[in-house]
Amino acid sequence: MEQTHRLELFPDRSVTLLLFQHVKNAAALRKKAMEGSIDGALINPAMIVDPFQILVAANKAVHLQKIGKMKTRTLYAEIIFSLSPSNNISDAFKKFGISDSDTAVLIVLVVDGDKTVNLADIASQVEGQQVSLDELPQLTDTAKVKKIYKVTPQEEKIGSLLDSVVCRMSTKDVL
Amino acid sequence: PAMAAAQAEAGGARSVMVGVAGLAMGDVGPVGPAMGELGAADPAVEGSEGAAGAAMVAEEPPAPPPLPGLRLVQQGAEAHVYRGLFLGRAAVAKLRVPKRYRHPALEERLSRRRMAQEARSLLRCRRAGIPAPVVYFVDYVTNSIYLEDIVDSVTVQDHIYSVQKSGNDTSGLHKLAEKMGELLARMHDEDIIHGDLTTANLLLRPPMEKLDLVLIDFGLSFISGLPEDKGVDLYVLEKAFISTHPDTEMMFQALLKTYAATSKKSGPVIKKLDEVRLRGRKRSMIG
Repeated sequence: MEQTHRLELFPDRSVTLLLFQHVKNAAALRKKAMEGSIDGALINPAMIVDPFQILVAANKAVHLQKIGKMKTRTLYAEIIFSLSPSNNISDAFKKFGISDSDTAVLIVLVVDGDKTVNLADIASQVEGQQVSLDELPQLTDTAKVKKIYKVTPQEEKIGSLLDSVVCRMSTKDVL
Repeated sequence: PAMAAAQAEAGGARSVMVGVAGLAMGDVGPVGPAMGELGAADPAVEGSEGAAGAAMVAEEPPAPPPLPGLRLVQQGAEAHVYRGLFLGRAAVAKLRVPKRYRHPALEERLSRRRMAQEARSLLRCRRAGIPAPVVYFVDYVTNSIYLEDIVDSVTVQDHIYSVQKSGNDTSGLHKLAEKMGELLARMHDEDIIHGDLTTANLLLRPPMEKLDLVLIDFGLSFISGLPEDKGVDLYVLEKAFISTHPDTEMMFQALLKTYAATSKKSGPVIKKLDEVRLRGRKRSMIG
């Protein structure tokens, strides 16, 4: 159900994605995340087009953490920030983090090496149903994604929405 | 600073280290094994590495990225290009080759700028709907860039070779030239100067008949609205065409014709191209 991927450039880290639907305690979860009592990044699945998007953000976040150049204070905050096309941290949280009224939540965990991920622990905190990542496309708000990432119509002709999104994420700080 | 200088030079002129003996010996540590790597390189890199090691004592190749399915594609002067899987996708990794003969501060700045230019141009192309690889990750520490790999693509260079060899389909080449002209016109209209236009930097996505072109290698690119820069861009391509592909004057003419028809600002550019042609090397200074 959940998906785990090793970061090739950082072989000691792997990223696990969990998706939950019919979530009832989004507000409580958000509070826990802000306090730092949940060991994961809580993301609004409507803004996610494909797990690859998360992997790209996680890869960048881990890279910045390793060289001590994160813009935010925690790795999980950095992942959320990396997803955003903007350089405004609070904006990133508003758009990509979860809000109290959300009914779907995507949780991202980054673990060291072969440390077994305690999925049951995380899952038990969510009052919702865990579903496969295959359900993600149904939860994506394509129109909103296009708007937030400012995807141009010409761009849509030469590639997928995922292409446009990833390109912006990775070149955000180059200018 | 002295240590850093010694380390930077360590890969290069061995004689320098003698002067800074005490300090340098300790610093050789990290550089030493790296030099050793040149000998015990992996099979894919071996052949060229041997030659490289002999010819350029100063060059220390960047360590290949630990991507699954990694293959060294090219060892350019600017960067080593690898193919592999990155986060589950076919990707191209371009690792810049540090130039030890340059002052380290300059080297760092130049390397960073080139990489930034490439990333910037790629994004600019995509936003304008000009086909170019997607950027997956930019590493500012090693100055490497990870891009989308256009799988099963063929360079226009190889395509022209095979078409000319098989003897048929010259009308196909004419259409290809028109498509190229159109693509370059759109790129220049966005004020993107490629900087290294050759038929090896233009890819054709399969199936070949669709003439689906993709521009690659924007390492020398920059943004400019000047007709001079666009004219030079085209001139570089013209020279590359003539030297690599004999009997293609008609092709290039078709390319220019479509370029002129597609680009809104082509007039001054073509004019500049004619001017640039009159300059250049081996031009007779008559009249």
